[in-house]
Amino acid sequence: MALDGIIILDNTGRPIIQSGFRSSTTAYPLLHIDAVNNALQKADRSADVDPVIYVAPYNSANPSACCHVEVGDMRFLCPISGDVDPLFAFAFLQTFIDILREYLGTVSAATLKDNFDIVYQLFEETLDAGGHPLTTYSNALRDIVIPPSLLNKLLNVTGTNFNSTINSGFGAGAAAGPFSSPLPWRKTGVRYNNNEIYFDVVEELRAIVNKNGLVTFSNVRGRIEANTKLSGTPDCSLNFTNSQVISDCALHPCVRFQRWNRDKILSFVPPDGRFTLMDYTYSPNPLPSQSQVMLAKNNVALPFVIKANIELEDSGGSFDVLLTSRYSTHALENVVAEMHLGQGAGGIRCSVSRGSGGGGFINAGGSRNLETGGASNGASWSFDSRRMVLRWEIPIVSPSSSWSLHGSFSTANRVPRPSHVIRVRFDISSHTYSALKVDQLKVVNAKESYKPYKGVRGRSSGDVEWRW
Amino acid sequence: MAPRKGENYELSVDLHSEYREKRKDAIKRVIASMTVGKDVSGLFPDVLMNMQTDDLEQKKLVYLYLMNYAKTQPELVILAVNTFVKDSDDPNPLVRALAIRTMGVLRAEKIIDYLCDPLQKCLRDENPYVRKTAALCVAKLYDLRPELVIDNGFLEQLHEMISDSNPMVVANTVAALTDIHIAASSQPSSSPNDPALFPISASVLSKLLIALNECSEWGRVAILNALARYVAQDDKESEHICERVVPQFQHVNGSVVLAAVKVIMIHMRGVRREDLIKQLVRKMAPPLVTLLSSPPEVQWVALRNINLLLQKRPDILSNEMRVFFCKYNDPLYVKVEKLDIMVRLAGDNNVDALLSELKEYASEVDVDFVRKSIKAIGQTAVKIDSAAERCVHVLLELIDTRVSYVVQEAVVVMRDIFRKYPSTYEGIIPTLCANLDELDEPEAKASLIWIIGEYANKIDNADELLGIFVDTFTEESYPVQLQTLTAVVKLFLKKPDSSQGIVQRVLNTATKDCDSPDVRDRAYIYWRLLSTDPGAAKAVVLAQRPPISIPRTTLLGEVSSLASVYHKPEETFVGKGRVGADSLQRKTDASDDRFSTQKAFQTVAAGQQAENLLDFDDTPAVEGRPSGLAATEVLSHTPAAASLLAGTSSNPLDDLVSIFGAPTAAPPSASPHDIFNGLAMNNGFSSGATGSLGSPVTQSPLVANIANVSPRSNQQQPQEDLLGLF
Repeated sequence: MALDGIIILDNTGRPIIQSGFRSSTTAYPLLHIDAVNNALQKADRSADVDPVIYVAPYNSANPSACCHVEVGDMRFLCPISGDVDPLFAFAFLQTFIDILREYLGTVSAATLKDNFDIVYQLFEETLDAGGHPLTTYSNALRDIVIPPSLLNKLLNVTGTNFNSTINSGFGAGAAAGPFSSPLPWRKTGVRYNNNEIYFDVVEELRAIVNKNGLVTFSNVRGRIEANTKLSGTPDCSLNFTNSQVISDCALHPCVRFQRWNRDKILSFVPPDGRFTLMDYTYSPNPLPSQSQVMLAKNNVALPFVIKANIELEDSGGSFDVLLTSRYSTHALENVVAEMHLGQGAGGIRCSVSRGSGGGGFINAGGSRNLETGGASNGASWSFDSRRMVLRWEIPIVSPSSSWSLHGSFSTANRVPRPSHVIRVRFDISSHTYSALKVDQLKVVNAKESYKPYKGVRGRSSGDVEWRW
Repeated sequence: MAPRKGENYELSVDLHSEYREKRKDAIKRVIASMTVGKDVSGLFPDVLMNMQTDDLEQKKLVYLYLMNYAKTQPELVILAVNTFVKDSDDPNPLVRALAIRTMGVLRAEKIIDYLCDPLQKCLRDENPYVRKTAALCVAKLYDLRPELVIDNGFLEQLHEMISDSNPMVVANTVAALTDIHIAASSQPSSSPNDPALFPISASVLSKLLIALNECSEWGRVAILNALARYVAQDDKESEHICERVVPQFQHVNGSVVLAAVKVIMIHMRGVRREDLIKQLVRKMAPPLVTLLSSPPEVQWVALRNINLLLQKRPDILSNEMRVFFCKYNDPLYVKVEKLDIMVRLAGDNNVDALLSELKEYASEVDVDFVRKSIKAIGQTAVKIDSAAERCVHVLLELIDTRVSYVVQEAVVVMRDIFRKYPSTYEGIIPTLCANLDELDEPEAKASLIWIIGEYANKIDNADELLGIFVDTFTEESYPVQLQTLTAVVKLFLKKPDSSQGIVQRVLNTATKDCDSPDVRDRAYIYWRLLSTDPGAAKAVVLAQRPPISIPRTTLLGEVSSLASVYHKPEETFVGKGRVGADSLQRKTDASDDRFSTQKAFQTVAAGQQAENLLDFDDTPAVEGRPSGLAATEVLSHTPAAASLLAGTSSNPLDDLVSIFGAPTAAPPSASPHDIFNGLAMNNGFSSGATGSLGSPVTQSPLVANIANVSPRSNQQQPQEDLLGLF
């Protein structure tokens, strides 16, 4: 196991900040930066660059590989050497990025530069020079790396040395010192005046619909995100009225595994703050003792239908797409439908309208890079001539309503080659596909009793590939 | 000292300020300068002054500075030793841990001498954070001065710490011991009794299993990796390990899941209870499939591993092919892996769904993906006999689209189908020939020419069609030339009356006007064969070819050092390797180790473009490795090859050339596979196939023959004839 370090590159491929690389030569991180930049340059699309790049050894050193991920307009690199599972590197990168988000709010080149001292400290605390990840539980980390809070900033401005008192006092705050907590994910001595615990049930639908309108594959993955603000060492137990609809669960380490497997009760002492309690797959028709990943496939009803009528002719084509909501109670929000029109497409003429015939009809002239058109009820379309993608946005598709996109395009080639796919993404608030319902949440606290405020919300999104 | 003006001077003034906030701010600015690469080493003494402070953050920043310049200014670092030693005794455990951690990474000789006493104390610290930090520090010390670790008894202490009450300490201790184990066993002089080795004993095992459920995800991975090395005593113990590890499948962190899968795969071999094996296999599928909801990078790693697992255990995902259907917006590398897995999962029950999906992909925009999809159709045809006809039908539909690259790829794929099912689909040959004019890629041309040559007796105007290529012979690329040459000779052997002229012409052109020695050599050989013994020529050129099947990425399971995503030889992933449970004899040869790692990385590099199933042909990739290895093995009987295998040359092809006496154009690389490539190219007369680099599919009998000939295996006619030629 050797994660050699982390390098963060900006959008031009130059390093913003990197960890110490104390066990390797100075050239080592540079080799990796070069390797990634070269690979990116060679690729047509940066998204198609292999996520693990072989880095040729320099001076007969051992060969290594570079795992990299894109975050915003930056790229995070994790060089690895020896027999390392790249997934280990990716999991660590993801964890590190999550930590940065928690500390800095947004992760960008600017925030990283502004808080380089924090980032350096995080490098030191999360990754050992020998390549072993160290402390990554945010509860424990906050004890040793103080987040750049507003309070800190104010104190710095006024120049008081109050700050250092807080710092040195931190260890003493928890009587036996940091890392003495018997639960590594939860810090000791947490106190709140208002005790609260919230759960968000978040589900995402992914589906592929074939030319005949049949769902060839669909899958709903859900997770329960928790936000706890509870004093002391609260012991929570959460059970559901319909736990049979979920399967293939992945649990936060705080959840007592045996209890869940036996009684389907989530019993846990939560970390303080935000965390993901569990991941699961929605399986509408569970069969006992069978993997449910696939059985879900034909059973999740898609919340909309598309009727696409697309005619391709010489040097162009016309399209007439009708999207109708199938839901009678919930509205689809932030609906985005995208279609790739193929190389050399242009001359887009489009109109979007609501219902059958209603609404405005606007032909937009083409600005060079982004042709756009607005229309009635906030729906709009645009064309990204760099990616050759026609994009249709509808802020709200109210229950049972239908929307249409109608227009034509031309291509430089005689034979137009659009992708035969319309990709639709959407959100639905206060809704879950599984209708997973919390039956009861008990919070028991040994030392002091309080009645926390509890809340559960649902939220859904979808990413559907509709072929025509 | 810094000059009296400029930025560094100002910083130095501020570092001496009487206000602590100002000093702290100055340190931050120093670090900032360091980040952007400015030289602030001149401020060393000024920064050092600020090391003694109650402010933990400030202390960390000073330490950060020290770590950065310790390499270049070791003589100054010694000034900090006192503070370090003092800090390692601080009442605040964070400070103690910080001091010991920093001393461990400074890598300055002089500091090391002062490290041992504080380290001794910290290993017994009451605070688990300090203990675990100290444990990792021992591994670093071993890296620099192994004798200090042994003399101070740190190893014994680490072994005791495996029983620590705190699971984090256990996990980090295991990580440290594993590091030391790897370092020690890679020493050429290491003996099996080296105290630094970390064999997993039964008592260690039970402690690891207890700690496993308690520690962080990273600790779990360290422990799981150690469990993978354990050699189970009997089937009961294997069962016990599997049962204890299975719950890790439900961890949120994918790397824990994968490490657990690895342990299960290794120890499952010791399990005798069929019901338990079934249960384990069934439980393995969902967590792997779940990983496909992750970001594309993670999906890719998961897919590569699934691909490996499927070759070991084809049953784990037998009903779940649809999960692997490609989405339009998947990155190419994900799509390619998915295609590969879909073909692996293909069976009679799902082949229709697969074909309609593949047909869909073949109409997509991305050329690479379209080609790979068409290849996948060919693979499906080769894999499932009963579906071959449907596959051919789909391919014909694709050829009908007249999109150039689709047609060309389809023709290439058709060749493999003809190879697998000889004389079954002759009816479509006219359709293929009708597209002759549209072919401009060498591989497609060569494929069609091969088909024409193979069925020369069934195609009325074969001489006419081949004549087109003979006319433009010198303008064609070498693979096409080679293929034309062979096809014309086949034509002549099948229809000697009508093709005397054309065979003369092609042999003339090939021997006189061609600048590729491969082509010339092949032409000479044919010429002599035909002139001395047409019967022998028939036996060689029209010989039966071995049947083809879908190539496997991991050939013969554990034979080769296959690195998939795992970036390690495949055997370490599913057993039998140097760290696998079956490795009863330990490899102590460091160079061997390094070699396998290196090969692993190369394989990954090569595999990224080529390793997928879809290439029957022409890619110097993993699928060729088995034959590559087979060839190497045989070759090693010859002295030249033996010296080559001893690894004296950086480019094995050079040596090969000396064996066969012909130059070659293959790319240099050190994998044994290339030796095979070299063979295939240099032998210069692959009779049947496209004359491309050797891969199992196109491997001609002659290539195999040569391999057989070298060790003087006395087999029948064609080989002996060949020997004569040499």
